[in-house]
Amino acid sequence: MHTPGLYQTDNERKQQRRLFRNRVYVAFSLALLFFILLLVRMTYLQWVNYNQYHSLAEGNRISVEAIPPVRGRIYDRNHILLADNRPVFALKFDKTKIADIQTTLSELGTVLPDLPESRLARFAERYQKASKHRPIFLSYTLSESEASQFAVHNFRFPGISLVSKLQRTYPHGEAAVHALGYVGRINRKELSSVEPSRYAGTDSIGKLGIEKQYESVLHGYPGVQQVETNANGRILRKLETTPPIQGKDIQLTLDIRLQLFIEELLAGQKGSAVVTNPNNGEILAYVSLPGYDPNHFVDGISQSRYRGLLSDLNRPLINRVVNGQYPPGSTVKPFVALGAIEQNIISPTKKIFDPGYMEFKGHRYRDWKREGHGLVDMHDSVVQSCDTYFYELSLDMGIDAIHDQLYPFGFGHKTGIDLPQESIGILPSKAWKQAAKGESWYTGETVIAVIGQGYFLATPIQMAKAISTLANYGEIVQPHLNMAAPNIEKQQIPIQKIDNWDRVMASMRDVLASPRGTAWRYARDIAFPMAGKTGTSQVFSLGKDEEYIEEELSVHLLDHSLFVGFAPVDNPEITVTVVIENAQVKAADVAVKIADYYMTELRDEN
Amino acid sequence: MKIDLPEKETVYRQNRHGLEAFHLDLWLILLLLALSALGSVVVYSASGGDTEMLMRHIIRLGIAFGIMVLFAQIPPNQLRIHTPWVFAVVIVMLIAVFLFGDMGKGAQRWLDLGVIRFQPSEIMKVALPLMLAWLFAQNSLPPPAKHLILGLGLIALTAGLIILQPDLGTAILIAASGLFVIFFAGLSWRWIFSTVVIVIGSLPVIWHFYMYDYQKQRVLTFLNPESDPLGSGYHIIQSKIAIGSGGLEGKGFMGSSQAHLDFLPESTTDFIFSVMAEEFGLIGVAVLLTLYLLVIARGLYIAAQAQDNFARLTSASLVMTLFIYVFVNIGMVSGLLPVVGLPLPLMSYGGSSMVTLMVSFGLLMSFHTHKRLLSPNH
Repeated sequence: MHTPGLYQTDNERKQQRRLFRNRVYVAFSLALLFFILLLVRMTYLQWVNYNQYHSLAEGNRISVEAIPPVRGRIYDRNHILLADNRPVFALKFDKTKIADIQTTLSELGTVLPDLPESRLARFAERYQKASKHRPIFLSYTLSESEASQFAVHNFRFPGISLVSKLQRTYPHGEAAVHALGYVGRINRKELSSVEPSRYAGTDSIGKLGIEKQYESVLHGYPGVQQVETNANGRILRKLETTPPIQGKDIQLTLDIRLQLFIEELLAGQKGSAVVTNPNNGEILAYVSLPGYDPNHFVDGISQSRYRGLLSDLNRPLINRVVNGQYPPGSTVKPFVALGAIEQNIISPTKKIFDPGYMEFKGHRYRDWKREGHGLVDMHDSVVQSCDTYFYELSLDMGIDAIHDQLYPFGFGHKTGIDLPQESIGILPSKAWKQAAKGESWYTGETVIAVIGQGYFLATPIQMAKAISTLANYGEIVQPHLNMAAPNIEKQQIPIQKIDNWDRVMASMRDVLASPRGTAWRYARDIAFPMAGKTGTSQVFSLGKDEEYIEEELSVHLLDHSLFVGFAPVDNPEITVTVVIENAQVKAADVAVKIADYYMTELRDEN
Repeated sequence: MKIDLPEKETVYRQNRHGLEAFHLDLWLILLLLALSALGSVVVYSASGGDTEMLMRHIIRLGIAFGIMVLFAQIPPNQLRIHTPWVFAVVIVMLIAVFLFGDMGKGAQRWLDLGVIRFQPSEIMKVALPLMLAWLFAQNSLPPPAKHLILGLGLIALTAGLIILQPDLGTAILIAASGLFVIFFAGLSWRWIFSTVVIVIGSLPVIWHFYMYDYQKQRVLTFLNPESDPLGSGYHIIQSKIAIGSGGLEGKGFMGSSQAHLDFLPESTTDFIFSVMAEEFGLIGVAVLLTLYLLVIARGLYIAAQAQDNFARLTSASLVMTLFIYVFVNIGMVSGLLPVVGLPLPLMSYGGSSMVTLMVSFGLLMSFHTHKRLLSPNH
């Protein structure tokens, strides 16, 4: 082999150079060969197939147009349309063929005199920012006479074409808007989170609610049409067409009749109502009031209207069912009572004396009834909603036992409802307070938490899930809106003694059936057994975003009224959850009317 | 078997006249200027006559040429001494990119040092060939087996780090430049052929386990561009229409209807060849390919004239990297190869890859103009 040192001999130096130069010749031949390959390829494209490409590019241009898919419709459980598509005339702008948008638009104004100036100004702004490669639609629906008028003048507007497109429409307007959501114009951010080719030719996307949750199901797949156009973009010949695949229809669990009944019943109130079937989690009614008309959003909502909705003190845009977080108040008492007797913390027959308050560490925790309830056991305490009984019980249980009891019923975590952006509420515990506030827990806070006040917050959908689970004897079902929701594995909260559950049911029944019950006076006339629990929460705000507004104080000072219940008591078919903010009517009253309407009008069909 | 080279006191032959006095090579400079001029013309046309863009392009070219001149002044021995350190630093930077690099267009390629923001993978395009040439120059060629294995390990390490970013195009390019060093170092043909067979055999494995969906999509689209006419296949279809419609003589300067009507994406960067082919036709294409071939020929000639194995291997490998760039880019836009997003050297608008390329040419010129006083043979 070699000896140390560089190029020991001339011979070896020559040998090294020869070896390298051989490789260089091979490398150059390789490069030459591949370049010849490229040249052959170019000759093939530019010489052999020149005529084909020439006609494609020069004479008549080929362009690939997307055919937007028809969006799936949304029905209620009885196949009544909740979201439909209607054909409208619209103007489609092709940015590559319009030289000066300002002159084009002002000319367009003379052809279509009814077109509001402000729309054109807004459109011009949007047009400037839009991508060159996507069609831009003027958000204005042309009447039939306007359409024919434009068609006559179309030759003056290269780059603008009159198209018939399908537009989303919500025939019931405000009804169930927070469940349905709406579609709106797709924005840049949304465009970057979807497959762009799937949205070619489409200018709208589901923004909220079911429309957003099931966007990929509803949207479908666009078709492709290859067309030959002349230099002005006029279509000369259609070549190949791949038809679009229509979006799938969705059938919801909602019953629009029940929905409309409740919305009318609660007209003028703020709050929410949820009706579910506890056996399978289907949501029959999903009411969040006040609402708004989703049809305004479809074609781009006007600035002033949107500002109006945003500044409305009643917060119509908030989806109260999943985002309204309320102290659940006394509605949690049956759940706590069940836990206490299942864990043998208290005997259900043990009586305590309620003087109207509980004294603890020098502080008086008052019952809602000043003079007290006297001697009460667990049953009486649920029926009459005795606070003192639960105050004392809470000292025996401790906050973590209360937390562990309530958690499986759905408090403190997402219910998994098929809607975007569900809030989780707060189910307080020692660990939660340490994590959230960095402070340790005070026993006095347990006393408040046990009656659903203090840190405790729950959304109406969580309350609905909890009461469904209770009515179901611990079988947890997930509330959902899509009839075809995938089967979710059912879970069962372990039952220690079925007797205990029966007792709680009986006490909830007497809330409505016993003359001493807190909801008795609303339920005197119903012909079916119903069980439930009332609640009141002494907070005047909706959530952490609410501001303290002095002018509104008088209305805002009114308590929230809550009710959770189910009917009939044996083999329940529905649960009713009602939360009314600053209530002028009682939630229990409303809930009984809802149940009555269902039992007398709808029961046989559903 | 260490080779003791006089490291500090190398005496270089005095360059007597003309450009050589500045360590520059006349032929290369003329060819590079011709390519840059052609590139500027096409960038101007593809941008639809955007003078500002043209100015930016020319300024960048100017900076790149300046960097080339600077690198041409570095004596080869200095370069050789520092090579292992440079390589180590770039490897560390690649790891840093992986740990806390900036995201850009879905890939983690940029390193932000506060003052400047750059892609370490760009530097690697030069650093890896240098490192391998340094390694193999320790002994006579062909290198011993343990050096070959070490070299392959370095290639795998570098390419692996870049694939992680993930940037498959650059990783392939850099791996290729490293393999070229091994090729020029005289790896026996038996090994070369068996490796080719193994690589082809392992392609399905890479496909299944090491490719991201977007990369697979590119390959699938390449195999059947019609399958996604609204997405990535659109680019290739439109690019082929642009090239084909250029014909023999082309549509003339500023005549690219495909680029001007926005049928062509990235018409000033990756797809600039399509614009040039549409405007200047098959004749223009032949001229361009000839220019590139002449650059390669001159570069390989410089390599063949080099005095030591370090200079030989480095320059030959850098020249072949340019060849890969050109072949992959033109192959891509004409539908021969998958879309891998490489620019066309000296033609495409912009970028850090232009700087790297000119650094390579600077090194080539340095090797060619710093000749040691050795023996009458040289």
